[in-house]
Amino acid sequence: MIKVAELSKHFPGTKKLRKELDPDVLVNGKVRAVDRISFECRPGRVFGLLGPNGAGKTTALRMIATMLKPTDGGFWVDGVDGVAEPQRVRERIGFLTGNTGLYDRLTATEMVKYFATLHGLDATQFEARRREVFQALDMDAFATRRIAQLSTGMRQKVSIARTIIHDPDVVVFDEPTSGLDVMTSRAIVDLIRSCRDQGKTVLFSTHLMGEVQLLCDDIAIIHRGRLFFNGTKGEFEAQMTQPSYEDEFIHLVGEA
Amino acid sequence: MTRTATIFKKEFTDTIRDKRTLITMIVVPLAVIPLLIGGMAKLGQRMAARAEEEKSTIAFIGPEFAPGLYERIADDTLFVIASGIAEQDLDTLIRSDSLDGAIVVPGSFDDLLAADLQASLSIYFRSSNQLNVTERRLRDIINAYDDDIVAERIEARNLDAQIFDAIEIVRVDIASLQEVLGKTVGGFLPYLFILLAFTGAMYPGIDLGAGEKERGTLETILSSPANRLEIVLGKFLVVAVIGVSSALLSILGLYLGVRMTADIPQQILDVIWNILNLKVVVIIASLLFPLTAFFASVILGLSIHAKSFKEAQSTLTPLSIVVIVPVAIGLMPGIELSAVTALVPVLNVSLATKEVIAGTIQPLHLVLAYISLIALAGAGIAFCVHWFNREATLFRT
Repeated sequence: MIKVAELSKHFPGTKKLRKELDPDVLVNGKVRAVDRISFECRPGRVFGLLGPNGAGKTTALRMIATMLKPTDGGFWVDGVDGVAEPQRVRERIGFLTGNTGLYDRLTATEMVKYFATLHGLDATQFEARRREVFQALDMDAFATRRIAQLSTGMRQKVSIARTIIHDPDVVVFDEPTSGLDVMTSRAIVDLIRSCRDQGKTVLFSTHLMGEVQLLCDDIAIIHRGRLFFNGTKGEFEAQMTQPSYEDEFIHLVGEA
Repeated sequence: MTRTATIFKKEFTDTIRDKRTLITMIVVPLAVIPLLIGGMAKLGQRMAARAEEEKSTIAFIGPEFAPGLYERIADDTLFVIASGIAEQDLDTLIRSDSLDGAIVVPGSFDDLLAADLQASLSIYFRSSNQLNVTERRLRDIINAYDDDIVAERIEARNLDAQIFDAIEIVRVDIASLQEVLGKTVGGFLPYLFILLAFTGAMYPGIDLGAGEKERGTLETILSSPANRLEIVLGKFLVVAVIGVSSALLSILGLYLGVRMTADIPQQILDVIWNILNLKVVVIIASLLFPLTAFFASVILGLSIHAKSFKEAQSTLTPLSIVVIVPVAIGLMPGIELSAVTALVPVLNVSLATKEVIAGTIQPLHLVLAYISLIALAGAGIAFCVHWFNREATLFRT
């Protein structure tokens, strides 16, 4: 369960940014990357945060993953206050992005074990969980190979295993399929579905309407740091004035 | 704290699997240093031996005015006298290495000597020539000739030689060979291990800070439960351990180099082993830990601040030259370890090493040096953590 309330993030604007950006997102010379957004992601459901590039998706998710401190507002992960106790939030979530790096000189198993240990799993717990995850992702064939020698698809599987090794109740994916081929994207899509089926809370961001249509139970649309739609997939469809998801999205963003 | 240990273990494994780190940490100290020492010793000995064996080709202008001297030189197997050379060509011939030197005797030479007066002659040489052997040989032979003439004159007058040699100086040098060599070795050692502690720590430092940003693994580790202090400490420890290892291995490399170099006189070897005794090595190593901790914190801090691997490299590479400056200052005469210099990082280690080897170190100064280095390392770590907490630094691209 993730609860986000009036969450804001302002960055000090550089000269270059101030020139490039819409005056709309500037407040007193600061860039308003995320502006008082509120939403709720529930267990067993997939929540899609949708927006064009630069809308504030990554900033919002980085705040929830506690990498960035909110300027204002707050969020709670399974009831834990993310502003007051960021470390306890990180213990509860699995975070993955399309370009989260891996350590090339470690083997797949070492990489996953590193994160398991940081999450407090002991050797026995790790081994049991590793067997389960590696089998589910079909990783046994390359478990002991150095990551540098793995293909993009294999690397993505290692990333997924790393994200879920501690069996988090909440998973956050920031544009998880960006830059991936169809086969690898499919692994991510399967992961999102299986997390949902296990009753986990899934929050993911994307700029692809197709993914939203395919996966989401709840949808929020963000543009210039502000949310201007937040509801279930059914509610979204009910208010659509355009023939397709994509047209509707472009229409909404264009109006904003 | 257990998370710091986990991070340390992983970063250490990751780092020592990197060939570039292994080269600066192991290959340079253990292979390059012994080879350099052995090679330099061999080369030096060979050059000196060759210069001693080689004959000096000289011109003797006016042999008829000094037949006695001419005979001595002609009889000496170390000289070859070139004939038919005009005085005005000497400059050119010596400059072009056709001649190693020359003696020019004026016409009045033997007459003056016979009259018990002072005669003069000129020797030509080029002091920029390697080792300047010819000048030394000419002077030796002329001095011996001079001594003989003086002795004859004294004898002819029935005088005692002591009349002309009123004071005999007996030199009593209380500096042991250890002290003399201590200054040389004590000056060379800090260059070696301070530079290697820095360069050894530099590569892993860049890799674990800027490298992590560049590869996109920073976000991965930041999303783990480890907090930023734990991450920085884990990284810092790896950088420090690699730096200390490089420096210690360089001392081992030095030891191996001396061991493997044949023909070092036993007397000098004894002194070297005396210098590199357990107590000295332990004190130097104990200085090395806080010094490398200081280096590691500065390197990691700048590396975290840098946008990319390249930027970190271009900031840190010039710094490795800057580090050498205090070492060089420490070697200047008159600069000694005091309550003030003991507080200056790097300089204090360089001075303390010199004094430890010479056996003149004062415990208070040593303690001050430790305190200063530990305080600076602490400040360095605080500065790493500060930068690691700054979003603008962390997500700077």
